Amino acid sequence: MVQQEPDNEKTGHYRNRNDSSAAEARELRERAIKAVWFCTALTAILAIVFIILFLVRDSLPVVRDIGIVPFLTGTDWYPSGDPPVYGIAVLVIGTVLVTLGAMALAVPLSIGCAIYIAELAPLTVKNIVKPAIELLAGIPSVVYGFFGLIVLTDFIRVTFDVPSGETWLAGSILLAIMALPTIISISEDAISMVPSEYKEGSLAIGATRWQTISQVLVPGALSGITAAIILGFGRAIGETMAVMMVTGNAAIIPNPVWNVLSPVRTLTGTLGIEMGEVAVGSDHYAALFGVAVVLLAITLLVNSAAVLILNSIRERQSGRHSRKKRTIMTGKVWDQIRRPALIGEFLLLAVFLFVALPAHAALLITAGIIAGYCLRNLLDAKQAERIAFTLIIAAAAIVLLILAVILQDIIVHGLSAISWEFLTEGPKDLGRAGGIFPAIIGTFCLVTGAILFALPLGVGAAIYLIEYTKEGRITRLIRITVDLLNGTPSIVFGLFGLAFLVYFLNFGVSLLAGQVTLGLMVLPTIIRATEEALRTIPGSLREGSLALGATRWQTIWRVVLPPAVPGIVTGTILSIGRAAGETAPIMFTAVVFSQRYLTASVFEPVMALPYHLFILATNVPGSSTNKYGTALVLLLLVIGIYSVAIYVRSHFAKKMRG
Amino acid sequence: MTDESIITTSDLNLWYHDTHALQSISIAIPRNRVTALIGPSGCGKSTLLRCFNRLNDLIDSVRVTGTIMLSGNNIHEPGTDVVQLRKRIGMVFQKPNPFPKSVYENVAYGPRVHGIKDKVELDRIVEKSLCDAALYDEVRDRLHESALSLSGGQQQRLCIARTLAVEPEVILMDEPCSALDPIATGKIEKLIDNLKQDYTVIIVTHNMQQAARVSDYTGFMYLGKLIECGRTRQIFENPKEDLTENYITGRFG
Repeated sequence: MVQQEPDNEKTGHYRNRNDSSAAEARELRERAIKAVWFCTALTAILAIVFIILFLVRDSLPVVRDIGIVPFLTGTDWYPSGDPPVYGIAVLVIGTVLVTLGAMALAVPLSIGCAIYIAELAPLTVKNIVKPAIELLAGIPSVVYGFFGLIVLTDFIRVTFDVPSGETWLAGSILLAIMALPTIISISEDAISMVPSEYKEGSLAIGATRWQTISQVLVPGALSGITAAIILGFGRAIGETMAVMMVTGNAAIIPNPVWNVLSPVRTLTGTLGIEMGEVAVGSDHYAALFGVAVVLLAITLLVNSAAVLILNSIRERQSGRHSRKKRTIMTGKVWDQIRRPALIGEFLLLAVFLFVALPAHAALLITAGIIAGYCLRNLLDAKQAERIAFTLIIAAAAIVLLILAVILQDIIVHGLSAISWEFLTEGPKDLGRAGGIFPAIIGTFCLVTGAILFALPLGVGAAIYLIEYTKEGRITRLIRITVDLLNGTPSIVFGLFGLAFLVYFLNFGVSLLAGQVTLGLMVLPTIIRATEEALRTIPGSLREGSLALGATRWQTIWRVVLPPAVPGIVTGTILSIGRAAGETAPIMFTAVVFSQRYLTASVFEPVMALPYHLFILATNVPGSSTNKYGTALVLLLLVIGIYSVAIYVRSHFAKKMRG
Repeated sequence: MTDESIITTSDLNLWYHDTHALQSISIAIPRNRVTALIGPSGCGKSTLLRCFNRLNDLIDSVRVTGTIMLSGNNIHEPGTDVVQLRKRIGMVFQKPNPFPKSVYENVAYGPRVHGIKDKVELDRIVEKSLCDAALYDEVRDRLHESALSLSGGQQQRLCIARTLAVEPEVILMDEPCSALDPIATGKIEKLIDNLKQDYTVIIVTHNMQQAARVSDYTGFMYLGKLIECGRTRQIFENPKEDLTENYITGRFG
């Protein structure tokens, strides 16, 4: 504070108004504050640089001992063979197949559901469906994996009469479910953001609602929907736990290649399975880091594409391009891609249908769809609308049904396991009996540490980006790295934590290593949430404060931050939920399966709920009740956290509107 | 001009990117008088106003040349304390922009950031500022309610009270009535008339009647240039320039 003596002469309560030493001190403090926030903003850059550096460093022996070409193009992956063979093409193919399958299922469902929410749903239904979709996003991937392993694979095994249900199909279905919320919410935003004049204009010339949707709204939102699909794709590629638990993990190329009932193995699954038991510094270790580099490169590429598209949309919306140009452009693109996109989607679906259903049923459905497509011009607009709306509502219903089935299964089976002892005692007999208390505490410690680490860095970085800088090279660089960090698969964070924190900094497998790894993982979420919150504060408030002679920091602290708190809190709560549910980043850095005592120091490993569930589900036969109990506790914990976030957001949104 | 001037600019130029928004402006603002800046939209009135408290510094890619002297000191001098400058030159914006805080906190904000912590002193400043802004009687019972619950006209007077609380020498007003109804506008105009006893007021307005009613001096700007400047009466009744006359008589703008 600038020291000024109250002085009652005249009206002047500011006497020392030209005290230059006070001004200098103030100036110095302002600079120091700015420097601190600049440093926090640099952590995002440092994080991504370190991640790349350490992954590449540890994978370098691949180049020397295996050679880049055999590594990338080899179709055999036998790390335990003699001699061991490391060819990751088979893993890349596995990843691509599972992901493509997931997209074939997820895209039509998501777009249907997005159209339903944006255009068809009555307000009350919309207010239920939207949070439900967000809950779907909140379910931890290990819980999906658990559900897939227990229910889905069993269903597939019985339905198709195959020896094991752990297949490409199971992986695709599960990944499709996990990609749904991403694609739905971004597509829905894109559709809702098409200016309402377009819609009104179309309706006003007598177009039906469906004509308006299919010819004005969807084409107008096309780039947003594309970005949504790409982001969903990126999320699916980087997903580890769920995929690893249901795909069977055999490193083979399906034969024939469209055999969705064949087991496959993905890049992420390989890391998840083998990283835990590999000798540090061996060729195998290097090869796994090579896998991580390839995985990172693929996801970064995919995500950058989505980010580029989304950014160009944002730019257009802020009016740097003319609106006219945009509709013509997207309209043209839409006409060009509509047919190939539909045919491609249809082929993929047909493959699934043929394999998944008895032949005659598949034939019937396929014939029906083809007939429908050919006859669509014979239908009048009213009939076409009725059919389209039926399909759209069906898509939304399927999505809700999936959510209901998952929740119902876990809640019904899990409730019987929950008791006071289960929540307050340690595990016995490898977790078959006893409770999960140390895992609850472990998860609590991990999350608390992660947030304590990420919150100041994230908020500081956002403050620097929004309040202190003009748009320039540095801000662009920081924003790009935040996007990159956001698109980095969680398993890659796990590997980085292992290489950098556990080995290089010599933290060992410890609570601290897990906290920092999780903290880095949620950092981009917090930065973005804070940025969004700061952006909504009108510039007129800042000007009002500065015009009164407040300093930059006084303005931020007293005027800008207080109304931004709800947004920051929401982002933080979402991060807590995400950190609590993640398995892959802590699997090699922080956790042990069984522990009798609570951890006394941050340099010791801990138990954690998601990892406990993973091990129970995959490695401990006959622990059925406790598995479900653990899944339920984890689910309730994460969903509870998400619900609070959703509530906080809507509560304050209402308040802001007055 | 016979009055002593408090702000003088000479050869002031300003560019946004490549747009030459202010071209060689030389104007003297008389102390304890109301000076109005008029002119069609986009002529640079608000930009000029924002030069006086260097609020244009906040905008990317703005370049300024020339000098602005405030009581004999160049405000663009490298060592200038922008914070002090903005304390001496207050500003009221086009749209009321109260902080999302209580009425009391809005007015106390300025004194607080300038280091006054004494509760009694703060109470005194808040009351006095609200009285001076002719708002006290309307809000005395709701000092601790949200400022956003006030009407638009009350919010604007609150913003004036907020400005008065830091005791500036000059008050810049950027179309302070453009978002208000005629009754609220009348109250603000009356207030401006009272303010000039203690303050120098520079007001940007679209409304020529308003300029004629409230100001002692008027500057007419057009396409980034100051066309003519003088006593309000002379500008409105006997303009020297044809452009000014055309504008005043409503032939364009």
